[in-house]
Amino acid sequence: MSTTVLIIIGAVIVVVLLWLVLTYNGLVRLRNEAQQGESSIDIQLKRRADLIPNLVEAVKGYAAHEQEAFERVTAARAHALEARTLGDKAAADGETRSALGGLLAVAEAYPQLRAVESFTLLQAELSDTEDKIAAARRYYNNVVQRYNTKQQSFPANVIAGPFGFGPREFYRIEDDAERDPVKVEITA
Amino acid sequence: MTLQEQIRSARMRTVLVLFLFVVLVALVVAAVYVFFGQGFGLIMALVAVGYGIFAYVAAGSIVASASGARPVSKEEAPELYRTVENAAIAAGLAKTPDIYIIDDAAPNAFAAGRTPEKAYVAATTGILALLDRRELEGVMAHEIAHVRNRDVRLMTLAAVMVGVISMIADMLLWATVFGGGRNSNNQNPIGAIIAIAAIILAPIGGALLQMALSRRREYLADATAAELTGDPEGLARALYKLAVDQHPLQHVNRATAHLWIESPLRDHHGLRSSVGGLFDTHPPLQERIDRLQEMGGFQLPPIPAGGAEA
Repeated sequence: MSTTVLIIIGAVIVVVLLWLVLTYNGLVRLRNEAQQGESSIDIQLKRRADLIPNLVEAVKGYAAHEQEAFERVTAARAHALEARTLGDKAAADGETRSALGGLLAVAEAYPQLRAVESFTLLQAELSDTEDKIAAARRYYNNVVQRYNTKQQSFPANVIAGPFGFGPREFYRIEDDAERDPVKVEITA
Repeated sequence: MTLQEQIRSARMRTVLVLFLFVVLVALVVAAVYVFFGQGFGLIMALVAVGYGIFAYVAAGSIVASASGARPVSKEEAPELYRTVENAAIAAGLAKTPDIYIIDDAAPNAFAAGRTPEKAYVAATTGILALLDRRELEGVMAHEIAHVRNRDVRLMTLAAVMVGVISMIADMLLWATVFGGGRNSNNQNPIGAIIAIAAIILAPIGGALLQMALSRRREYLADATAAELTGDPEGLARALYKLAVDQHPLQHVNRATAHLWIESPLRDHHGLRSSVGGLFDTHPPLQERIDRLQEMGGFQLPPIPAGGAEA
C-alpha cells in the first residue's frame, strides 16, 4: 500500500521535473535566439553606418551646398552608433532611414552624380543593406513573438516569472512603409 | 487559414504521417515475427538497420553531382546571392548556405544538405532568367525554409525507411514463395493472412506516406517562405510562372524529386495528375498558389488549362 503511494508520488515528481527542465530549456533557447536576432540586426546597422561617410562624401563632391541633408544624415548616424537599448536603436534606425531618404532625394537632382560608378555601387550596397536590416528585423520579431507567447501562456508562465524570463520588446520603427510579417487575415 | 495557422496545421499533419510510418514499421516487424520467429527475425532486423544506415550515409553525396550543379561566386550572380543571404538572415541561419547554379533552361531550384551548416541551395539558369527579383526572393526563401525546417534530413529518413520496408517485404515474399516460413503452418491462419497482406501492402503504404509527407513539407516551406519574406505574393507569382513554363528539366530522377521547388517530374499536359495525386511529391501548383493567396489576401488569375498557351 505505502509502496504504491510512494511510487505514484515518485512518478509525479519525475514528470514535474521533466516538464520543468524541458520548459526551462525551451525558454532559454528562445531567449538566446532573440539575443542572436538582435546581434544580427546590430551587424547590419553597423554595416549601414560604415557606408554613410562614403555616401556623404560622394554626394558632397557634386552638391556641397546641401548642408542640411548632410547634417541630418551625420547626426542620425551618430545616434545609431550611440544607441544601446533596443528602443534607441530602433529610433535611430528610423531617423537614419528618413535622413538617407533625404540625401538620396538630393542626389537625384544631379544627373552627373548618378552617372558616377562608385556612387551607383554605394547606392546598390545601401539598398542591399536596407533589405538585410529588414530581414534581420523580421527574424527578431518572429522569435520575440514566439518567446513572448510561450512565456505568457499556461503552464510555462508559472515558471517564467520566478526564473527571470520577462517579455521582450519588438523592434519597431516609427515611420513605416516597410513590409512586416504578414498579418492580413482572409478566410476562404 | 492565416500564415501561422497554416504552419501549425502542416506541423501537426507531419506528426500524423510520422505516426502512421511507425505503425507501418511495427506491422512489418510483426509480420517478420509471424513468419520467422524471434531468432531469424532479429537477424533480419539487424540487416535492415545496417542497410538503413548505409543508405542514409550514402544518400548525402548523391544530389549535387547527379543534378550537374556548379558552385557560383557572388560576383557572378549578385542578385541570387543577395536573395539567399536575405532569406538566411530572416530564417536566423548561422551561415548563408553555399550557392550552386545548374545550366538548364528548365526553371527550378532546390535545397540539399542534412544540417543547416552543411546546406546548399541551387537554382537553374532557367529560373534566374524567368523570374524577377521579387519572385526569386520567394523561391529562394522557400528553399531556405526547407533548410530551416530540416526537410532534407526528414525526407532522406523517410526514403530510407521506405527502402528498408521494401527490402524486408521482398525477403518475406521470397521466403513464402520458397516455403521458408517454418512457423507459418502451425500458427493461426488469420495471423498468416494478415502477415501476407502486410508484406504486399507495406511498400505501397510506405511510398504513399513518403509522398504525403513530402507534400506536407512543401506546404510548410511555402508558408515559412511567406514568413521569411513577408511577401506571399512574390512566391505565388513565381509558382504561377513555373506552372505556365514548358521546359522539361534534364537531370532528373525520382530519388531527388522532393527537393525541387516544383516537381521536376510533372506531366506538362495536366496540372492535376492521375490517382488523385497520391504518388506526387508536390501538391498541385494551383493549390499552393491558392493557399498563398489565402494568407496574403491577393488574387492572381487561375493557371490556364494545359499549363500554357504555347
